[in-house]
Amino acid sequence: MLPLRLLGRDWRGGELALIATALILAVSCVTAIAHFSDRLTRAMHIQSQSFLAAERVLKSSKEVPQEWLDKADDLGLERAKTVTFASMLSAGDEFQFASVKAVSDGYPLVGHLEMRAQVEAQSKVVQQGPRPGNVWLEARLLPLMQLEIGDQLQLGDGSFTIDGIIDHEPDRGANLFSMGARVMMHTSDLAATNILQPGSRVNYRYLLAGDDAALESYLTWLRPKLTLHEHITDLKEGQPRVAKTLERAESFLYLAASLAVLLASVAVGLAARRYGLRHANYVAVMKSLGAGKNKILGIYLGQMSALAIIATVAGLAIGSFVQSQAVNLLAGFFPVTPPPSSWQPLLVGIATGLACVIGFALPPLFRLAQTDPMQTLRQDWSNPDKREWFGLIPGPLSMLLLIWWLSGSLATTAALLAGLGLLVAGSAVVNRLLVRGRLAALGGSWRIALGSLQRRAGFNTLLIAAFGTGLLAMLAMFYARTALIDEWKMQLPENAPNHFLVNIAPYELDGVKQKVEDKNLEGTEFYPMVRGRLIAVNGTPVTERENTDGAIRRELNLSWTDTLPADNKIVAGEWWNENLTEGVSVEVEVAARLGLEMGDVLRFSIGGLETESTITSLRTLDWNSMRPNFFMLFAPGSLDNFPATYIQSFYLPPEDKLFVNELVKNFPSVSIIELDKILENIRETIGQVAIAIESVLALMLIAGVLVLIAGVRASIAERLQEAAVIRTLGGRRQLLIRSLMIEFGLLGIAAGLLAAFGTEATLAVLSQRVFELPFNFHPGLWILGPLVGALLVGTAGTLACRSAVSQPPLKVLRELA
Amino acid sequence: MSVMLKAENLHHRVSTSEGPLTLLNDISLQLPAGQSLAITGASGSGKSTLLGLLAGLDRPTEGKIWLAGEDITAMDEEQRAALRARCVGFVFQTFQLLPGLTARENVMLPSELRGERNAGKRAEEFLERVGLGHRLHHYPRQLSGGEQQRVAIARAFCSIAGNDKDTGNGILFADEPTGSLDAHNGEKVIDLLFNLNAETGTTLVLVTHEQRLAERCGAHLRMAAGEITTADIPDSYFGDQAEVSA
Repeated sequence: MLPLRLLGRDWRGGELALIATALILAVSCVTAIAHFSDRLTRAMHIQSQSFLAAERVLKSSKEVPQEWLDKADDLGLERAKTVTFASMLSAGDEFQFASVKAVSDGYPLVGHLEMRAQVEAQSKVVQQGPRPGNVWLEARLLPLMQLEIGDQLQLGDGSFTIDGIIDHEPDRGANLFSMGARVMMHTSDLAATNILQPGSRVNYRYLLAGDDAALESYLTWLRPKLTLHEHITDLKEGQPRVAKTLERAESFLYLAASLAVLLASVAVGLAARRYGLRHANYVAVMKSLGAGKNKILGIYLGQMSALAIIATVAGLAIGSFVQSQAVNLLAGFFPVTPPPSSWQPLLVGIATGLACVIGFALPPLFRLAQTDPMQTLRQDWSNPDKREWFGLIPGPLSMLLLIWWLSGSLATTAALLAGLGLLVAGSAVVNRLLVRGRLAALGGSWRIALGSLQRRAGFNTLLIAAFGTGLLAMLAMFYARTALIDEWKMQLPENAPNHFLVNIAPYELDGVKQKVEDKNLEGTEFYPMVRGRLIAVNGTPVTERENTDGAIRRELNLSWTDTLPADNKIVAGEWWNENLTEGVSVEVEVAARLGLEMGDVLRFSIGGLETESTITSLRTLDWNSMRPNFFMLFAPGSLDNFPATYIQSFYLPPEDKLFVNELVKNFPSVSIIELDKILENIRETIGQVAIAIESVLALMLIAGVLVLIAGVRASIAERLQEAAVIRTLGGRRQLLIRSLMIEFGLLGIAAGLLAAFGTEATLAVLSQRVFELPFNFHPGLWILGPLVGALLVGTAGTLACRSAVSQPPLKVLRELA
Repeated sequence: MSVMLKAENLHHRVSTSEGPLTLLNDISLQLPAGQSLAITGASGSGKSTLLGLLAGLDRPTEGKIWLAGEDITAMDEEQRAALRARCVGFVFQTFQLLPGLTARENVMLPSELRGERNAGKRAEEFLERVGLGHRLHHYPRQLSGGEQQRVAIARAFCSIAGNDKDTGNGILFADEPTGSLDAHNGEKVIDLLFNLNAETGTTLVLVTHEQRLAERCGAHLRMAAGEITTADIPDSYFGDQAEVSA
């Protein structure tokens, strides 16, 4: 086979090595990122599903029919059950209100429990709750009720042995407002307690896990049978904050893979172009020796196919190896071991190899076959082939298709297209400005550098676009990562309130305030609260209105304050002032759902009495602030005639956890909602996602630098030759080094400036359409882009060309001949 | 004597940014098989363009060319390439050896393009004949200019040595073969070229600046501004017209 024989010979010549390296780089980078993303996404999903302790949860306020459970068994689904309710515990003379959770065998289906058998022991991971006859308690209950491990605890009619301390339960967050300390028991002991009676407030949760298809089939079967009492929950509904975090992280990882494809393809494109140019002479000679167009095409297509197969296989192997090492290195950071990757990343790697070859490597080969031997052998370029520009179309087109497929997001593809479009259009303009500038007047090295830029004006447009793409990818990733992590940190600051005090009676208010103040806790204002139901709007009963919402089917927490709470913002009307002392301010989203407008008169039923109030303002608020938030805020004094209790939230550091016991003892009627464990779980997950994102960013930066090196290498031969000639003519080393630094530095600045422009455009689309974050202008980007461009391109270029100034010029010229 | 090469009323024009440019104007010639022709002229006179057209590397704007009895102006690029593979060899001023291939591999290339099995053996034979049997596995960058041109000559003769006998013993086109060499090496290369030419009975078309070299050829055309200004052609070259159009 001639193509294979020539492939072997060409390889020794180093020409094909360059394109193979770029291809291997492309495939391995994308494969590694795709593998990494795939495994991290799966790990994150496992971790996130642990928030439910299952993949899906069927919630109900009563036992569900046995037939439903049998059907799940028939389909081979795993299932477990939890029953949660509030009850009074007793031990001797001590009584305490607690949140009881009975768990069946198999609980948790996803995630794990952490418990200790002794107070002083280390917490250990377990996959099963307490055995029948035993209970586990939350640590603070022991001192509160003066109990020890091994003591008996009375729950209803049942007596149980305290067998351990529960430190972590995966689905604590699923029942957000469970009040009181946790007691965990086995479901088989429930009957003995005699607590659950018809009408008891109980939360049944049936946990499900298993094969996706089986789960989906089961839910399709179940959905029509559900009544108002039952509800199926997945992560999105159960933990919207975590779900959103994961969604954004996935978008980021897909963006990373897309940008890696883009970077890799630029590297292949540059290498293939150089290969095509260098081989024009080969082809001219072969044609003169009698090889026809089809023969040439056959030889090169054969070579390229062999090369593509070898490079793709090597890239897949290297990419898979790199990701496995990366996951091993980061293993300590993941509480969940990332599961093995699927075959899909390999498919992504193969598709990348194919797209790079078809889009970037084949067009130069087709052009090669068209080589005019006379023109080429005589080095006569007075009549250039204008069709060359058509060859630039398949590359970007195949890349955009691949990115679309990879990200599954038209918005991501459009964002990159917008950024790249601006970058390429700008390259031509900036390059023109650069070569027409008057910088040559600055002296010797500037004149040489500018002369070099002018001679290669056409290619430099391509080079600026290539460098710019590399920098755009790096900058876009860096800024997208910063925006995401900042957003997460902002959503859940370190000292976000993690405990709520509710049901504070007016006579207890001063005492509670004093306790919290004495402890120096960061807390919110104490808000008064009355429970009321919205019954009519402008005289029309809400039941007759078209717009309905959960908010009108239940009692609302109504409050009043003279100060607009932090995080609240008036978007229509005005806040209370001297001229406005009556009315109600409504949260803008609930207003939209109920079809409420400014000036509407709302009628509420509060404890059997009715009151009316006019909407005087609409507010936005941050539901993630962990502060008390209200749909309806009244003007001070409006609800004075109704009995109110107070609510407050504060941040309690973990080491002060026993302060909760103090509050419970001093104010037994005050309910304490403890969210610290939930927030800890969420924070842990976000932390892992952030690590994943940082790791992928590091991979991208490496790929970006490699593209810059490929770009420099693509234009190095001519520069080496010129430098050698200048040295032969007496040019000094310093002069040449300075001119190279200026030349590549200017290219870097131009590329960096355009990359900043392209990045800003890309981020604008991404933040709004993909990450759903507010768009911010990034002034730093416009300084960082040119600076990083000048530094990276200038350094890479000067280093790559240093042999021209460090070796005898005759040697350089001989090697290049 | 059969005619190996014949051209009639060749015109060649190209379009440039300054408008159309005439490179060749009404050129006619013919060359019997086994004979040699030198084309001389100043730079830009059109001699290399003429050589390329005669070898079928390009098509003239007007006129006809017959190579080995076939009208190459009526052929498409693939057919012309096939004819070149059968009976044409080239020697260039700048050698045009492929830098990634050894001397042996460069010489093997034309045989390989024809799909011949004994390409390696034949390449070694020709390299022996040009005195480079000891340099088989050297790359072009490891050879002197004279040695590189000898490899190129070996490749050219190897290219036509395997041809089918219907096209005679082939034709060698040499474009300034000594242009990149010093006098001593140039002399050696020319001796080699003419000796091999005589041994193998190939037809030779030579473009050169050197009067001394042109005088060793059987016929001599002088060109200026795309036209033949003088032609020293023996009468025997015009002997049997009928065979040309056969």
